[in-house]
Amino acid sequence: MMIFIGASYDELGLSPEEIQTQMGRWFAWGDKMKEQGILRGGAALYATAKRVSGPDRIESDGPFVESKELIGGYYTAAADSVEEAVKIAQDYPDYHLGGTVEIREVVKFDR
Amino acid sequence: MVDHLFRHQYGKLVAILSKIFGLAHLELIEDAIQDTFLQASLKWREAQPDNPEAWLTQAAKNRAIDLMRQINAQRQRHEKTVHGAATLEINEYFLDHEVQDSQLRMLFVACHPGFSREEQIAFALKAISGFSMKEIAVALLQKDETIKKRLMRARKKIQELSITLDYPEPNEIDGRLSAVQQIIYLIFNEGFHSTKLNQLIDKDLCGEALRLCKLLLVKEQFRSGSLYALFGLLCFHASRLDSKVVDGKIVDLKHQDRSTWHFPLIVLGNDALNKAMLYSDQSIYHLEAGIAAEHIKAIKFENTNWQQIIDYYNEMFELMPSDSIRLSRAITYLQMERLADAKKELDSINAAAMSQRTYLLHGTYAEYYAKNGEPARALIAIDKAICTCTNSLEREYLEEKKAGMTRSS
Repeated sequence: MMIFIGASYDELGLSPEEIQTQMGRWFAWGDKMKEQGILRGGAALYATAKRVSGPDRIESDGPFVESKELIGGYYTAAADSVEEAVKIAQDYPDYHLGGTVEIREVVKFDR
Repeated sequence: MVDHLFRHQYGKLVAILSKIFGLAHLELIEDAIQDTFLQASLKWREAQPDNPEAWLTQAAKNRAIDLMRQINAQRQRHEKTVHGAATLEINEYFLDHEVQDSQLRMLFVACHPGFSREEQIAFALKAISGFSMKEIAVALLQKDETIKKRLMRARKKIQELSITLDYPEPNEIDGRLSAVQQIIYLIFNEGFHSTKLNQLIDKDLCGEALRLCKLLLVKEQFRSGSLYALFGLLCFHASRLDSKVVDGKIVDLKHQDRSTWHFPLIVLGNDALNKAMLYSDQSIYHLEAGIAAEHIKAIKFENTNWQQIIDYYNEMFELMPSDSIRLSRAITYLQMERLADAKKELDSINAAAMSQRTYLLHGTYAEYYAKNGEPARALIAIDKAICTCTNSLEREYLEEKKAGMTRSS
């Protein structure tokens, strides 16, 4: 699983043109993974959120982290090794905007 | 996806929503549209819609209804719900001819005499062309902060002067129309004559100027000889855009590969000039387009009809005397080997008033001295040019010229 961390485009103040350019790069990446048959799923996440925590189920309103640490979404893709996953993550389009990709292996349970 | 779809869509939507809700709500409207794009960038990551433009338009319509609620609430009216009929009405505003009309009105608003020239350009690039503050700053070689202030002042003036999204009064329309043409001309020149490291933004500026010009030409009532001449001029210049800077280096007119000039734009420019002839009005754009046409006509640099170009410059000078025409004339005289005329012209220029373009004056002096067999003076002049030039590409070009001079002397 590739988890995308970084400030939202809103926060970064991107122009319409830049939003479109970034979007094009996201499409290209998604299409490439689909063509290779390795894309398993993914989602983009809104920044606004609620938290429920503790035994009393206390609700609180986000945001909870600094904007640059915000999780913006994730993709799951098939890879034989972490090294291969790192290769796949090279195409993530937001590095130049200060974004980060965290790679985590999804646990598979034996039945 | 269509190039610049978001940027153009932004301008369209700002115009439509301003027509529905009034310019007084401009800030709210701009935020709402920006938000629509952000939503799209998230939602489309999984699946791109078949027709992105239609998707954005629908999203903007929904947003318009939200806005109506919000604005009504601001006015503290009780009707916080919006009747279904309002949706029908909103649909009307999204019809093609309405959209065009709204954008044209916006263009006239941008040229409101209450704004300074700088505010007009910044406002037009933001509200009509969908540039961000940062992009405008890069395009106009200004600080972000400066552009931010200009935009804020323009917004404030809209409130203070109660500017509405209307065409000017019939007796004001001619004056405003010439201001609109000037703004288009200036936006184009910002892109064409600057050689920033970020060339993309230059092309975008030129493209925007052409688009705005076309927008005006659609309406019969705004057509005139000067508007067609302006369009022709922009087309001619734009046809050379890709040949001006090659591999990060400036290529001057003499050395440009003329076969790379974009032919369809030349044809378009030519048609526009022919149409301009059908009107009786005369303008500086006619003359400038004439000069551009002479350069385009010449198969080789050596074939340029310099005498015709001097005649055009003379006419221009009579209409609007300026040091930059004097300089252009001097450069032309140099090409004609009329050295004494060139020198006389150069000496009549007030160097102090040239500000950032002083280096052009020194550069031309250098050329004059070189041609006149005074290499030592030529070197001093070119050094002055290099010292006063702030643009790195231009400076490189001058350095190379200097190297050429030292070799030949």
